[in-house]
Amino acid sequence: MPEEYTSLVTALKALTQGEKSNVITLPMAENEWNTRPDAESYGTVALDFEVDALYGDNKKTVTSYSGSVDLFSRLKDGGGWVEEIVKTLTEYCEGAWSLNSHMYERENKIFHWEWAFEVEG
Amino acid sequence: MATYKFEVEGMRELFTKLKKAEDKSLGIAAQGLYEGAGIVADAVSNGVRGIQTESFKYAKGGTKRKPSPEEKAALMSAPRGVAKFRKKLGRVDTTVGFNGNGYVNVNFNHMKGTARTNYKAVNFKGKSTTASSTLKWIQYQGGSAKHGISADIGRGAQNQKPVGVIANSINSGTSFMEKQPFMRKAFSKSKTAAVAAIEEGIRKRIEELDLE
Repeated sequence: MPEEYTSLVTALKALTQGEKSNVITLPMAENEWNTRPDAESYGTVALDFEVDALYGDNKKTVTSYSGSVDLFSRLKDGGGWVEEIVKTLTEYCEGAWSLNSHMYERENKIFHWEWAFEVEG
Repeated sequence: MATYKFEVEGMRELFTKLKKAEDKSLGIAAQGLYEGAGIVADAVSNGVRGIQTESFKYAKGGTKRKPSPEEKAALMSAPRGVAKFRKKLGRVDTTVGFNGNGYVNVNFNHMKGTARTNYKAVNFKGKSTTASSTLKWIQYQGGSAKHGISADIGRGAQNQKPVGVIANSINSGTSFMEKQPFMRKAFSKSKTAAVAAIEEGIRKRIEELDLE
């Protein structure tokens, strides 16, 4: 696992120990947090695919990966998680992230934010 | 205050030629862009083929499911490609993706097929085709059984799903659908080749920019 990605996951996990610990009641799994179906908000973070690589000395020297953070929330403003995730992405991925989509699932009444980021490994 | 007046001969001709160059350069840029966009569109098509599926099931209790073969067939048969080019303020751009107005009627029908490969597109008469306008069926072979999946292209009638919604739910994932970012992957993987094709396309046509 790229070190930058591991740091990002650790930082996202740490959020559950902060002020919002009363909302997030379950510990985060390997790559997701608060997966309880009746939770107000929950999210996942994952590495999706390899974007590119630099080669030197007949081997990969630097590899860039694309990943995504998904936030699902029954609250329109995401219960404050949007700001927390944006802050964490800015800190750990610098400028290499963007809000890829923001959707509302009408049938399930859930708001969905998806951020895409790139990390080096 | 003293005023100075310059008279330069040929300024009108110069402006005319510069205007002509602007018009032509946008056309050349569009031609280059078309070649690059084609590469991206091909990457998206390959991405659709690579989508993993499983038999349809309702995702309950916070579980997630993969797209059904019918949903994949709908995407494979859906109109997609390069949108009409937009030229504005000295720039030209386009969009690659699925037709936002396209709807597909996703039905699962058992029928006898003769597909030799996993996927085979046939037209209304049952003959192989790759033309999306005549595409009627996507046949696929799963295990020992052969199935046919109808994926009619039409307007939003009852029981029809918009293609864009299916594609988006697979690409970005939902609370019940596993994420398979085939579009984002296609864009990322084809970006370098697409940019190179656009540059090459512009470079080889730049000689056409005859200002004489």
